[in-house]
Amino acid sequence: MIWIGNVLVSQGEGGVYNERMVGGARVWDPYRSKLSALYHVGIGVDLKPGMRVLYLGAANGTTVSHVADYVEVVYAVEFAPRPMQDLLEVCRRRKNIIPIMADAGRPEQYAPLVEAVDLLYQDVAQPDQAAIALRNCPFLKNGGILILMLKTRSVDMSKDPAEVFLDTIEVLTSSGLIVKECVWLAPFHIDHAAIVCTKPEV
Amino acid sequence: MQSYWFGDVCDGRCKVFTGDTQAIIDRVQSIFTSMDSFVPPEWDQAVVCGACRDRQEYLARLQAVCIAAAERSVRDQYSRKDAELLQMVRTLDEIDTVVNLLSEKAAEWYIIRHPAFSRKYRRISANILIKTIREKSRGALGNVAMEIEQLAKTRTALAKEVSARANEVMPNTSALIGGLVAARLMSRAGGLFPLSRLPASAIQVLGARTALFAHLKTRSPCPKHGIIFQHRRVHNAPKEVRGKVARVLSGKLAIAARLDHFRGIAVPEFLTTAQERIDAAGKMSKP
Repeated sequence: MIWIGNVLVSQGEGGVYNERMVGGARVWDPYRSKLSALYHVGIGVDLKPGMRVLYLGAANGTTVSHVADYVEVVYAVEFAPRPMQDLLEVCRRRKNIIPIMADAGRPEQYAPLVEAVDLLYQDVAQPDQAAIALRNCPFLKNGGILILMLKTRSVDMSKDPAEVFLDTIEVLTSSGLIVKECVWLAPFHIDHAAIVCTKPEV
Repeated sequence: MQSYWFGDVCDGRCKVFTGDTQAIIDRVQSIFTSMDSFVPPEWDQAVVCGACRDRQEYLARLQAVCIAAAERSVRDQYSRKDAELLQMVRTLDEIDTVVNLLSEKAAEWYIIRHPAFSRKYRRISANILIKTIREKSRGALGNVAMEIEQLAKTRTALAKEVSARANEVMPNTSALIGGLVAARLMSRAGGLFPLSRLPASAIQVLGARTALFAHLKTRSPCPKHGIIFQHRRVHNAPKEVRGKVARVLSGKLAIAARLDHFRGIAVPEFLTTAQERIDAAGKMSKP
């Protein structure tokens, strides 16, 4: 990852969302992007130039554009039409983002399009976030990494976020994933946690 | 056999799919993949197939197909009848808020200029007050009052349009609860399809989010009605039976929304029995 002082940046064409530029690089704001927040509060995963990424919950393409600056190709899945319009605009300017308008909970709809990936990144506001991640695991190479941005409030509004967090980790480990890191994203994002897992080599 | 966007792969052999971008999109939508036996596509298979020359071309073609597919889906979703109604009713409610806030500010301003003026013991509705302010004030305040009146006119016209459009898009729901309230329910649910998927109990408290979550988290009583309170059937009902009317009405609304989504036309048989049932709920006295 590229840091200028304590500012996380990515190398690429600027102006995607009027982001600040430092020394010709795009500032990756941890208050806007949960992935950037993960790099600030924890270790995360080093994004490398040859990586292939499946990104679930791409939204307006803000974080996607930063990820695309680092890696070879990003498959960006988004369900809602309004953010998809913005994402498409980003795709027209970046050759390495493949937009997919589909429900991340139904991977069979986009299976014929997505190749095996090194990193599965998920940031969706759904109650069954762990199940969605597991359903998308067939796209992940053995030894590949899953980053799950857990929105505890989307899982259950009335439950304690810490409880939701532990339950989710339990679901992921019991289906064979190895949890490497789990951190809360405070102070950047409240009631959001990041869970980093690897799919075992078999 | 595995089917991918560029062709079918079977035992290392590959049959390329030939067709333009639109044909590939149709193909991708028609492929049924089972995730249990799924093997992700590999770009070198596509090269062996003859679908592309190298990795760069693979990604370029895939991106072109995916962008076109997403554009098509966006266009399809926006061309649905409920898409524009949703924006119309949200704009209408926003104008309401703005008119109210501005009227309040204009009234406060007017009172400063006329210290003897008070609204106490005088039945002055907001629009009459604004008219008075416009007539009696010069300069900026008069202009503000004039703009508020103009905005109120726009609002009235828009409300008529929303009502008419709702009668057309959701005839059954509108017949039960009126076009405006029907449109608001739809907007809160996020569209006609999401509304048709809601259970009656959710429709009943749609728009009473604060009260509902307060109920779930603390011991406060649960809300009896949300947006549907705006309809006279609910707010004119005697207090004892108001909850019952809301429950029966939302039950019928859930059915009506499904009829609207799946049939799209008014169903008179359903409407007569539903109206009778709701009226009966309002008349029932407590034993």
